[in-house]
Amino acid sequence: MSTGLTVTTRRDLFGRGSTALATLALASLLEREGHARGGGRSPGLAGLPHFRPRAKRVIYLFQSGAPSQMDLFDHKPRLDDLRGSELPESIRQDQRLTVMTSRQPSFPIAPSRFGFARHGECGATVSELMPHTARVVDDLAFVKSMHTEAINHDPAITFFQTGAQLAGRPSIGAWLSYGLGTENDDLPAFVAMISQGSGIPGQPLYDRLWGSGFLPSRYQGVKFRSVGDPVLYLSNPTGLEAAGRRRMLDDLERLNRLRHETTGDPETTTRIAAYELAYRMQSSVPDLVDVSNEPRRVFDLYGESARKPGTFAANCLLARRLVERGVRFVQLFHRGWDQHANLPSAIRKQCADTDQGSAALVTDLKDRGLLDDTLVVWGGEFGRTVYCQGKLTATDYGRDHHPRCFTVWLAGGGIKGGVTHGATDDFSYNVTRNPVHVHDLHATMLHLLGIDHTRLTFKFQGRDHRLTDVHGELVPEIVA
Amino acid sequence: MLRSVVVHGGDDKVDLRRDVRSLLSDRCFACHGPDAKKRKARLRLDTREGMLAERQERAAVRPGEPARSEILRRVSADDGDERMPPEDAGPPLTEKEIDLLRRWIDAGAPWSRHWAFLPPERASRTELASGKRAVDSIDTFVLARLEAEGVEPSPPTDRATLVRRVTLDLTGLPPTIAEIDAFVADESPDAYERVVDRLLDSPHYGERMALEWLDAARYADTNGYQTDGERSMWRWRDWVIDAFNRNMPFDRFTIEQLAGDLLPEPTLDQLIATGFHRNHRGNGEGGVIGEEYLVEYVVDRVDTTSTIWLGMTLGCARCHEHKFDPFSQQEFYELFAFFHNVPEMGRVFKYGNSPPTIPAPTRAQREELASVDRDVAEAERGLQALAGEIRVATRRWEDDLRAARDDVDMKISRGLVAHVPPAEEPVEVGDVAAFGFYDRFTISAWVTPRSTRGGTIVSRMIDEPGGTGYALRFAEGRVHVDLVRRPLDDAVRLHTRSSIEPGERSHIVMTYDGSRLASGVRVLVDGVEAPFNVDLDELNQPFDAEEPLRVGRGGGDESVFDGRVGEVRVFERVLRDEELKALSVAESLSTIAAISLERRSDAQSAKMRVAFVETLGPESIRTAQERLVRARERRESLIRSFPTVMIMRERIEPRETFVLERGRYDRPKGRVEPGVPSVLPAMSEDAPRNRLGLARWLVDRRNPLTARVTVNRYWEMLFGVGIVHTTNDFGSRGGAPSHPGLLDWLAVEFMESGWDVKATLRTIVMSATYRRSSWTSAASAARDPDNRLLARGPRFRLSAHAIRDQALAFGRLASGSPVGGPSVRPYQPPGLWKELSGQEYVIGRGSDLYRRSLYTYWKRTAPPPAMMTFDAADRESCSVRCSRTNTPLQALVLMNDVTYIEAARAFAERMMREGGEADDERLAWGFRTATARVPSTGELTVLRDGLAAHRARFRDRRDAAIGLIAVGESDPDRQLDPREVAAFTVIASMILNLDEVLTKS
Repeated sequence: MSTGLTVTTRRDLFGRGSTALATLALASLLEREGHARGGGRSPGLAGLPHFRPRAKRVIYLFQSGAPSQMDLFDHKPRLDDLRGSELPESIRQDQRLTVMTSRQPSFPIAPSRFGFARHGECGATVSELMPHTARVVDDLAFVKSMHTEAINHDPAITFFQTGAQLAGRPSIGAWLSYGLGTENDDLPAFVAMISQGSGIPGQPLYDRLWGSGFLPSRYQGVKFRSVGDPVLYLSNPTGLEAAGRRRMLDDLERLNRLRHETTGDPETTTRIAAYELAYRMQSSVPDLVDVSNEPRRVFDLYGESARKPGTFAANCLLARRLVERGVRFVQLFHRGWDQHANLPSAIRKQCADTDQGSAALVTDLKDRGLLDDTLVVWGGEFGRTVYCQGKLTATDYGRDHHPRCFTVWLAGGGIKGGVTHGATDDFSYNVTRNPVHVHDLHATMLHLLGIDHTRLTFKFQGRDHRLTDVHGELVPEIVA
Repeated sequence: MLRSVVVHGGDDKVDLRRDVRSLLSDRCFACHGPDAKKRKARLRLDTREGMLAERQERAAVRPGEPARSEILRRVSADDGDERMPPEDAGPPLTEKEIDLLRRWIDAGAPWSRHWAFLPPERASRTELASGKRAVDSIDTFVLARLEAEGVEPSPPTDRATLVRRVTLDLTGLPPTIAEIDAFVADESPDAYERVVDRLLDSPHYGERMALEWLDAARYADTNGYQTDGERSMWRWRDWVIDAFNRNMPFDRFTIEQLAGDLLPEPTLDQLIATGFHRNHRGNGEGGVIGEEYLVEYVVDRVDTTSTIWLGMTLGCARCHEHKFDPFSQQEFYELFAFFHNVPEMGRVFKYGNSPPTIPAPTRAQREELASVDRDVAEAERGLQALAGEIRVATRRWEDDLRAARDDVDMKISRGLVAHVPPAEEPVEVGDVAAFGFYDRFTISAWVTPRSTRGGTIVSRMIDEPGGTGYALRFAEGRVHVDLVRRPLDDAVRLHTRSSIEPGERSHIVMTYDGSRLASGVRVLVDGVEAPFNVDLDELNQPFDAEEPLRVGRGGGDESVFDGRVGEVRVFERVLRDEELKALSVAESLSTIAAISLERRSDAQSAKMRVAFVETLGPESIRTAQERLVRARERRESLIRSFPTVMIMRERIEPRETFVLERGRYDRPKGRVEPGVPSVLPAMSEDAPRNRLGLARWLVDRRNPLTARVTVNRYWEMLFGVGIVHTTNDFGSRGGAPSHPGLLDWLAVEFMESGWDVKATLRTIVMSATYRRSSWTSAASAARDPDNRLLARGPRFRLSAHAIRDQALAFGRLASGSPVGGPSVRPYQPPGLWKELSGQEYVIGRGSDLYRRSLYTYWKRTAPPPAMMTFDAADRESCSVRCSRTNTPLQALVLMNDVTYIEAARAFAERMMREGGEADDERLAWGFRTATARVPSTGELTVLRDGLAAHRARFRDRRDAAIGLIAVGESDPDRQLDPREVAAFTVIASMILNLDEVLTKS
């Protein structure tokens, strides 16, 4: 890794011209794709944001596999008395189930094994599994009436990420980097990170979840990794140290310039700039992921596991470091919530892995004054059934996929703290008040970023596409 | 896009028509277009009747009377309430757009259907401003336009650049220095033509052409959803490469892929071709509702077919009437109906190919099969020749049996893995018979149930109700077979129709052939095939369990067999019919021998025969029998080793198709029959209403789209931008052709040539337009950045595949790599699959690392990262248009990926070995190999100084040098000084990173 040369040295070598050149070239490249040139750094679309944004950036803590809402936040005390009894037809209403349980001879109610208490000034109900989250509830808005259409992981998570169940559309982060551009030339606008729970192996993830779909591929999320290079292909090969790389790049630029004099192709200038940006990433990224200088109290806050690369807590800490540096959209994917069987033991591990990091991130952002304009979102792709999948025993149960209702929480970036929005029936089966669809959540997120979700469009195959398709309503009740 | 170039045709009226249609389509059709439901004020602007209609003494358009045309008043109104389009539908029209409308109405509001729906016509001769009339060719169309615009075309490019350009274009590989030299030195007038013909004849031509087709056909090596398990479609890819190399006419290429199975007596190749429409993703996720995904697969086929052949998706019409183009929702489902009749599963197999499939042997395998077939026939003849002898010997043997005092019997033992004697209590046999879902096995048991309750006879499963594993059971008087991952949704479960009475002793056999299907199970009761009912046929994941084989139990305490389980035998193969029969015979050979031939049962006779010819007969007979058995087994296992490919087939019982409300699988409305959109020419009366009829319709001369769309794709492949720049959208919102006459001329030529692909490409690359210099002046870059006017030769970044392939070629790592074959796994950073899904990417060895990129294993949910960084299509769905970006991540790949470091080292060694003695010679050789041209003095100076600098740096750092040149699997050349190789490697790597090398210019 070429840490020997800092960015400053680099600028000394080349003078300020090269940075200006880089920005100019990138801007001209964007312009050639039909985008107007914006002011300042790498621009987004002309006319964006549409109005004053409340949030400048987003950290999305995606809980892949679908956490059980009634074991974490959607407390249903009356179910204790109904334990083992059949889920009433009046509640199930013939809604479709996955074929993993639709052929079950019975649908016995499995109340949560976990204790709940009210927390904070707002009195939000949180399960004993989430003690850290319980301490920050006054900063969170809980949406208990989320619902979706998909009942299987792949289509459901794809829907959450792209607004469509099938592959092919841009992910939400790609839309934002397309629309709003980046605030940091040395880092990508959209970063994705993955962690694995210490419990059951999680549902698979897919590159398309942070892909750019039909948008140009520059808008796709860049995956930051905990093993090997933090960004793929970042390190120089063995034997080629920083000075050798620098020399090669200088010669490369000389040759490309000589060629540009002959061909006149502006694309060559863009390529020269791209190599400069790559070189800068070679030092800015390692610096970014090196948390050794973070003080003791940071690890007290996030937990010791934040020292271990690749954990959810470590990724939370990196997320904070990324948004500090102006990265627009950071998305964490934590695997392992798909608890069809042995839910009580599995969810305990899953919460131990994620609770402290999530809460710490909110606290940390707040302490640094970043929470005001950073939107944090926590949630999975659907909820889980109140009825037991498999055998209900005194201590054990499993839950199948449930798209009809589940809980997400949001914080910061223009979100009203200490709010609970929407409600479900006594079985956490159907939404009874203020339903919020995936498209509505997307519309609200875009709104907080200053974007009218109906006006961020891209024409592809004759149609103006948008993240929210032809749907999406703002949820004003959770907006401060 | 392209604001700086306004697109014009030759005829101004046509021009107005096109421009106005495109303006109205873009700004008005959403509310005043084909979709009746969304139509506002009942005003329709996509038909002439609609716009001329008198409404309350007003009309939107009065030809020749701009002042009395309501449309002009409304688009120019100052009042926000009056003005169209309304505020929420976008900004007001510009002055220019309003003026266009005015001129159009002035000119009588000429109107015609959207240009792409009218048949292509060969334009009358093009008139050049110079007064000359020229025979139409690509160049006359291009020059006419350039003259009209007052733009001077670039001169022809130099020969070195040209040979590099055309070689990359037609083979996807760079020319060698020898090829460059030969062409540069060849002054004969047909020198270029001969190069083109050589390239079109190269087997690499087929590989190169296959690439775009694989993107369009969404080819991949995995299923695409969730677990994204492996599938095997590479034999279809071989078919594509071969079809291009043999220059299969595009109409036949179309028909065989869409409907090869419906041709009379289809060949194996024609069946393999239909894999085209099985390339779509398939969902094997647990819990999915099959019906939902059956619909998605068919929608994918409609989208893919319409994008590739019609140049547009009708996707919008899945849910509602199309807003911009005249396609109704009903028409979408009529097209859908063609593809809705495949006997396929909604939830596909999680791993491997899902039915319908066929074994798809390669040529070598077909030859091997023919040879094994000869062996079988010969062995059959051998045994046949012994028939008389067998008869005589058998009689003698039976006499001996009857005479003997001892009771003689025989048990089949080949493939026996467990033999359990009768027991009253359940027996734990141990860790044997660990069969998985691809294994073939046979279980045989004697049972005497005490009651109809029964219980488990033989099992290897988790010992709880519904546990994972396999079991042969008896319940409610019937024999059950369970192959279970999860009992409710991931299992094969079946039970026999006839029942066994309590107290009766019966012999039960089950066999399973590893097909994962209920149809791969057989049950025999007392030697007779027992028909069964299938309770569940959805086995999707391995069912092997870490449990002992058990007799008399399996599935919890309730499962203990109520009765007596007699002798159990388990075989790790599927026994032949006569063996299965023989198994069921309790009587000993001696006992049977005592029964007269006429009174013996079929099974008893079988047992006698098997015993004699396989075990107890004379050696000559046993040998002949053995030979036949072995030959047949070899044949079977050979066939099982064949790659398979998923193919299309029609259901016997046709599936009905309905319009789906909002496109939802569970909301069927009216029933529809297969049909084609009414805006296009009708199918001929006698054409079958099936895929074959559809395929023939697509390549019918009257179809206005297929030829245009196809030649436009070829144009885009060679020039970077299509004549219609929206390659995937020829609809009313798509781009207008930059050279309409040229597009039509090419389309007509293509059809008239008999859909000759090579001839069409040849025509294009032979044109002066293709051969022009790509030098870009500041003025021309500003005026026409995308070269739509074609004043310059093409210049754009190479594809992901070409960039890797040429680097391997420079290092000569890929030489001798065969055309076609299974996918390979080249380098990729470790852990990429693991972090996403827990799966392991095992990097290949040796030549697998250096195969051309089109053979790289394509996992849809985690595609090869370096390829994706260079904008490769993701293969999730049909893609006919590539984006070409230029990003820092690409720089990182080329600088640091093992692939490119190793290729640079191999390239460096070639520079040292083949480039000459002096540094300058070696550097120039390397530069020339990569760019095709001689470096300038300035360039050579940079290279020379750079080499000196790297050499100095490695002089005292031998370890670093050795480390650098050790990157990658192939060994560095030990004859060369590692420090020298390292210094040259850095230079070679730099050359691989040159803009010029990454660009076709």
